[in-house]
Amino acid sequence: MQPEKFYYDNKIVRNFGIATVLWGIIGMTVGLIIAIQLYAPGMNMNNQYTTYGRIRPLHTNAVIFAFVGNAIFMGVYYSLQRLLKARMYSDWLSKIHFWGWQLIIVSAVITLPLGFTTSHEYAELEWPIDIAITLIWVVFGINMFGTIFKRRERHLYVAIWFYIATFVTIAVLHIVNSMELPISAWKSYYIYAGVQDALVQWWYGHNAVAFFLTTPYLGMMYYFLPKMANRPIYSYKLSILHFWALIFIYIWAGPHHLLYTTLPGWAQSLGIAFSIMLIAPSWGGMINGLLTLRGAWDKVRDDVVLKFMVVGLTAYGMATFEGPMLSLKQVNGFAHFSDWIIAHVHVGALGWNGFLTFAILYWVIPRIYKTELFSKKLSAFHFWIGTLGILFYAIPMYWAGFTQSLMLKEFTPEGMLKYPNFLETTLQILPMHMMRSAGGAMYLLGVIVMAYNLARTMMQGSLVANEAAQAMPLAPANTVVKEKSWHRTLERKPIQMMIAALLVILVGTFIELMPTLTVKSNIPTIASVKPYRPLELQGRDIYIREGCVNCHSQTVRPFRSETERYGEYSKAGEFVYDHPFLWGSKRTGPDLAREGEKYGNAWHYNHLMDPRLMSPGSIMPNYDWLISQTLDTTTTRSKINAMRTLGVPYALGYENIANQDLDKQANEISDNLAKDHIKVKSNKEIIAIIAYLQRLGVDIKANKTGNK
Amino acid sequence: MKYCRIILMFCLITITGTASADNLIAGDVQNYLAYGAIVSMLLLIVIALLVLVRTFNVLTKVVLKSEGYTDAQIQAQLHPPKKAKKPKGEVWNKLLSLRPMAEEKELLIEHDYDGIQELDNPIPGWFMYLFYATIIFAGGYLLNYHVFHTGQLQYEEYKTEMAQADIAKKLYLSKSANQVDENTVKLVTDPEILKAGQVIFTQNCKPCHGEHAEGNVGPNLTDDFWLHGGKINDLFKTIKYGVQSKGMPTWEKQLSPKQIADVANYIKSLHDTHPAGAKEPQGVKDVADDKLASTK
Repeated sequence: MQPEKFYYDNKIVRNFGIATVLWGIIGMTVGLIIAIQLYAPGMNMNNQYTTYGRIRPLHTNAVIFAFVGNAIFMGVYYSLQRLLKARMYSDWLSKIHFWGWQLIIVSAVITLPLGFTTSHEYAELEWPIDIAITLIWVVFGINMFGTIFKRRERHLYVAIWFYIATFVTIAVLHIVNSMELPISAWKSYYIYAGVQDALVQWWYGHNAVAFFLTTPYLGMMYYFLPKMANRPIYSYKLSILHFWALIFIYIWAGPHHLLYTTLPGWAQSLGIAFSIMLIAPSWGGMINGLLTLRGAWDKVRDDVVLKFMVVGLTAYGMATFEGPMLSLKQVNGFAHFSDWIIAHVHVGALGWNGFLTFAILYWVIPRIYKTELFSKKLSAFHFWIGTLGILFYAIPMYWAGFTQSLMLKEFTPEGMLKYPNFLETTLQILPMHMMRSAGGAMYLLGVIVMAYNLARTMMQGSLVANEAAQAMPLAPANTVVKEKSWHRTLERKPIQMMIAALLVILVGTFIELMPTLTVKSNIPTIASVKPYRPLELQGRDIYIREGCVNCHSQTVRPFRSETERYGEYSKAGEFVYDHPFLWGSKRTGPDLAREGEKYGNAWHYNHLMDPRLMSPGSIMPNYDWLISQTLDTTTTRSKINAMRTLGVPYALGYENIANQDLDKQANEISDNLAKDHIKVKSNKEIIAIIAYLQRLGVDIKANKTGNK
Repeated sequence: MKYCRIILMFCLITITGTASADNLIAGDVQNYLAYGAIVSMLLLIVIALLVLVRTFNVLTKVVLKSEGYTDAQIQAQLHPPKKAKKPKGEVWNKLLSLRPMAEEKELLIEHDYDGIQELDNPIPGWFMYLFYATIIFAGGYLLNYHVFHTGQLQYEEYKTEMAQADIAKKLYLSKSANQVDENTVKLVTDPEILKAGQVIFTQNCKPCHGEHAEGNVGPNLTDDFWLHGGKINDLFKTIKYGVQSKGMPTWEKQLSPKQIADVANYIKSLHDTHPAGAKEPQGVKDVADDKLASTK
């Protein structure tokens, strides 16, 4: 047999590489802006389109799906071709994949500031973009499997197992968590409500971390680290064990985001138990990586690429140990909703994803441009300022998290909350938030320096768009002798491997999701909880549009410190008409689950117009545009109809009179405001959001006020 | 040794002294003294041990010399030659149960992917123990909370927490003079109390009632007109429970009874101050004032 000649496609790798750097800078800049808004709310430039609630999702989406996403495709397209000894299946599909993905990101950059959001964290994009993501993901899948089928290498290397698991699991997660009923071009309601919606969202949210930020990066680590260090992988057996254990166990851990909520206790406990079991399989990747460096540690001293890899792997090990610890309910009750979690995710994101991406960029770009890196000094500078940036980011945030949680839980001997005013605890941690933004700025500066360094590298070399290679063609499958082990056999069979990975992740999915989604007794209903009135429903959609959920939770946990502060703890039955749920994951401001009737309408009006009027020192932005903007009531009919389709018991024909009821309630509120000399027309958006805020958590009180 | 004994005595005196002087020194100061005492005791023990070791050394030398050993022999006895130190890498290898680098060639799997080779190292034992330990923990966790019910789930935990807090609170209140309610609250003009009330007013009431209680979102509190009664008892009640329909929040959870009484008295003291920009009267005229409690 003669060796076959073929060419690797380097251009697509280069394109994804450039996109990684550009989106990385944009995503991190948005992150810096919102970090500053947390102590200087004026940084929103008094503009609704750049206000925290709307661009915080832009930051998360940009760094996860644009920065990390493009980096994954860069790494996969580079390594896959070489591991399979084949060019990508189709240049056209590669191009569609690249431009399709960039288009999706651009649409996110446009729609999120406009307030088009589903409010599910890391899945905020509305339904048309969800469909586009599905299509492009399928294109990626076809291109990847097409390449696998025409490979010149019989067995699939461990990196590719991880790529396959990533592909199939993200597909399942995305589809299940995008089950929305569209009511217009840019608005939809999730088909799940309350507890069920929360469970689906955090099954998704947790596994987006697992299968978008972790498994593809482990795959890339398995290719790039041995290439960079020129060392063999430490243990093939460990690869097998930790791969299967990781994908099997990870999928169960989602409920640890919902501890002490109204999620059934058994589901919470399963989430905790599996999170603890996740330590070893997660560490398997780090150990295999660090031990691969055995005998190459002297290189780490002067090779900046390896330095990035080592810090990245260490950050991964720290984050994957901290994660299981945070899911222990005793720790979680303290840490959840606080800045501790922000510190935790940024150790993972900046350390693991960021540093691995930088290492790969510094290694790949000179290679495909047939040149040396422009400046080693600048890359060393990037490494040190990046590492310092992570420290300056994480340490103040840990500090802020501990401080605030301790303050919120402190009681006086009289049995009163020591800090009954939530704002006091916020003001206490502002210095830490300032330090955090300095850390973030250092990290961003490093990335900008890298961009310059890489651009100069590209300018001094020239791209080898098609890199020549040769390999022996594969012998027909049936001629190969029997393999040593069952796993070795499986490594020859990509489709079987994909099915095996799919089955493994579906086990945990079914056992955890199905009972809560189908068994009624898991969500006890409450008779006094009624569907929202039309004005409140419209107000709720404004609440969603403005991204209030990014700073305000809506679930009171059964702790003394919370029931004393907010009122009775939340019940599952209170959320049955909430499409989507709005429990939130962070309390930058206080919980709002029992906000209804706590203050007067005038208080809310003034507070929304300028929060500092009612709460001096508040860091909440002004929402004065709600006063000038008119509520769109043409959507009421379709919203009522959609809600009825989803099982909310609005009477048949109610959609015809819904707007009459809406006007009635709006007039009541504007009349009430007039008594306090506030003149506002009843058709303004602020009336709707006040109606919604005044409704929050009051239904359950109805039982008791009857006795008063 | 004499100094040691003096320090020891001093420590003992401080500890017993603080214990008996219960009322003289504040609780946390007592704690700091106790920590200091504990730390110095521990240091003392370390010093004592060092001294003992030294003494044994000297004693050995003296005894051995008296038995006729030469200096060299004694030295050999006291300082046996140290074992050759293993190179650092080997210690790590042993700790992590890794095979030496020299044997790596035997472990290479012959296959390679784009030049990447893999070693056939076994999975480290300690890694497996870690994995098993977490599995056992997870199983134990589920058994504890869902089979044997020895651990409390969230709602039971909440009940326990509230019950404990209730006991602690009652115990504290039975000892303190903080128990005042809408029936027992008295009108006072003690400047200390009014000053305390003013601080509370500025922190909590100003946004709605204005800096000088002239009224803003909430009503003017300086005139003769009251929506919910103008007696000190009425004020206390309104502040404590709030008036939901009018947008007055409940302060029961945020202010202690003492604080509510203070701020109610402060408001009473503002009567007829006629602040600038006063809001028009609301409610009914209520000047039938309560009797002033005798100022202490």
